[in-house]
Amino acid sequence: MAPARTRSPALARDLARLDERLSAKPAAHLKVNGLSIGYSTLRGRFHAVEDVSFEVRAGTNLGLVGESGCGKSTVVKALMGLLPEFTGISGEALLDGQNILGLSDAQLEPIRWNRISLITQSAMNSLDPVYCIGDQICEAILAHEKVGKAVAWARAEEMFALVGLPAERLYEFPHQFSGGMRQRAVIAMALALNAGMLLADEPTTALDPIMQSQIMSRIRGIHEHMRRSMILVTHDIAVVAETCEAVVVMYAGKVAESGPTADVLERPLHPYTMGLQNAFPRLPVRGQPRQPLISIPGTVPNLLLPPSGCRFASRCPFATDLCRTTAPQLHTVGAQSAACHYTERADEFRAAAARPETWRNMRVGA
Amino acid sequence: MTDTTATRPVIEARDLKTHFQGRTGIFTALAGVTPPVARALDGVDISIREKEIVGLVGESGCGKSTLGMSLVRMYQPTSGSITFSGDDITHVEGRKLKDYRRQAQIIFQDPYSSLNPRLTIGQIIEEPLVIHGIGSATERRAKVERALDLVRIPAAENIHRFPSDLSGGQRQRIAIARALVLEPRFIVADEPVSMLDVSIQASVLELLDELSRELGLAVLYISHDIATVGYICKHVAVMYLGRIVEEGRAEDILAQPLHPYTQRLMAAIPRMDPGEVPERVELRGDVPSPMNVPPGCRFSSRCPYATELCRAVEPDLTDQPGGQRVRCHIHDDRAAKARPELERPQAGRITEIEDAGLLAQTAG
Repeated sequence: MAPARTRSPALARDLARLDERLSAKPAAHLKVNGLSIGYSTLRGRFHAVEDVSFEVRAGTNLGLVGESGCGKSTVVKALMGLLPEFTGISGEALLDGQNILGLSDAQLEPIRWNRISLITQSAMNSLDPVYCIGDQICEAILAHEKVGKAVAWARAEEMFALVGLPAERLYEFPHQFSGGMRQRAVIAMALALNAGMLLADEPTTALDPIMQSQIMSRIRGIHEHMRRSMILVTHDIAVVAETCEAVVVMYAGKVAESGPTADVLERPLHPYTMGLQNAFPRLPVRGQPRQPLISIPGTVPNLLLPPSGCRFASRCPFATDLCRTTAPQLHTVGAQSAACHYTERADEFRAAAARPETWRNMRVGA
Repeated sequence: MTDTTATRPVIEARDLKTHFQGRTGIFTALAGVTPPVARALDGVDISIREKEIVGLVGESGCGKSTLGMSLVRMYQPTSGSITFSGDDITHVEGRKLKDYRRQAQIIFQDPYSSLNPRLTIGQIIEEPLVIHGIGSATERRAKVERALDLVRIPAAENIHRFPSDLSGGQRQRIAIARALVLEPRFIVADEPVSMLDVSIQASVLELLDELSRELGLAVLYISHDIATVGYICKHVAVMYLGRIVEEGRAEDILAQPLHPYTQRLMAAIPRMDPGEVPERVELRGDVPSPMNVPPGCRFSSRCPYATELCRAVEPDLTDQPGGQRVRCHIHDDRAAKARPELERPQAGRITEIEDAGLLAQTAG
């Protein structure tokens, strides 16, 4: 696709050197241990994220799913060091062994964009309207690499070719792009320095299916082509099923369930994962009976006063007194783990959760 | 099909067009340049009966919302006709328009911005009644309570609360209650669940379905989340660039689409079960601008099967053996017979694939 533009030999040589240097970067490994994030508000402490641990092995994709307000984006912001000052953060996030939480801006500078980059949720607001797209991509490159503007621009052209945008459009401004093109431009920007770890925060939310498929095929392409590590934040479990090797299901700031995607979707252990799966609309398949769509009654609990027991207890059709009083520990079953007291009864729960009555009957109490 | 086949359509549009005039500067106007026209809606036929939910799907920018808003006369159609229970309401104005709007309501996508944050739930739902001068204060209060009851929100504890006290799903129910309080016969639901969490989408969809049957409503359900359409709609229409390209029974359209565009659209939807993931041929580019509609088939600029015939002659919406209606030369040979010199497209013969970026190729 990249048009054979006439580049001077010196420029081509510098660009090749830059490309070589950047593609030598290894995929990053990330281990998050006991991450808790709390905001102090006028009404008390807001426990946005509590004791979240997960691991992204080098060169793999991890899906972070859950409904809105469960702390997915907060985790991503914490990893990028984008949370407001005075946010209470504890725990550690080891990026290739180095803890990246609680660093100063100066300490973060060599890490951000260079080793960990972000594909933001709303591409509409994350591009600067008064600079052309090319300048914005170059800015990121020039901040980290000692190259000339011409080389940076040539690199930006390569990135545009990678995401399927014509190089001429680098001269355009964000308002001249459609929503999907802007999202692709943001992906190009996140790839510009070939960071070892990519954080994609709802990259396709609010896009139509065609655009979503275009963006996701590019994101999957990054994975195949460049072997980067990635955390994909989304509420669309089907996207995770198609893209990620491992998945972490979050509920109300805590990990409800985690494990290899295929296992978690085939044999969910946590009633929340079961509920999420049954609530997810699917296309009909010819000759197969259609599963009814079942919503989960109730809402996410108020995290200013989190319930003392399991956070899902108020919406769980299988909750017992134990669930309402004692917070469950993570129980490991094979490669999966789930924060539920009754992981050994998961088979029974799965069968019950597939019946709409199970959830409807508890609606009275909720 | 069902018992509703016999009933007359509640709302029917024939060859409906809504065009928007672009802006010109003073100099171009003086130079006699005609401003560009966006043909957002360009000849659509649709009819919805009592107790029927018709699904309308398509990409962003294909004219779905314009159709919805034209049907409730928020936009003035450029040509064509809208018939509402036998009356032509395409050009009604003043009192008659107000009367029509009482019977045709719309629910918007975003329940966070479609409810006035300074009014209580009771006031929000009462407002349409006040505007239409219906009932005394006590009668209105009773109607508000009935509407809240219909959307399964306990009236007593919520009527004095503000939208900010409610969750997204509850707000969307309030928006539905506001639409229902006037006892309309036709509702346009424009992406009513796309801003809601998956866990509560189902309950809002279920509610729409039940209300349509209980109250005999005709509903136009607009969504780009195609999987949800299959749950509540019997009939689905697919729009592309201001026109319907395929319509028919929901299970046919979703599981066995005929039009190349619908096929791409369905293939693009992510699947939960890896075994169900279809082979994806990426649809390149964006929808062409409605200001610059390509000649011939509107999809020809992005269609892998397109031939000269497609680029020259626009196909008609034709009935297919299975009961679907499709606008494609592959499924209709009349144009090919009339213009035998032009090559006719064939299914399975891809004429050209422009690559859409390096990553797309390796993604495979």
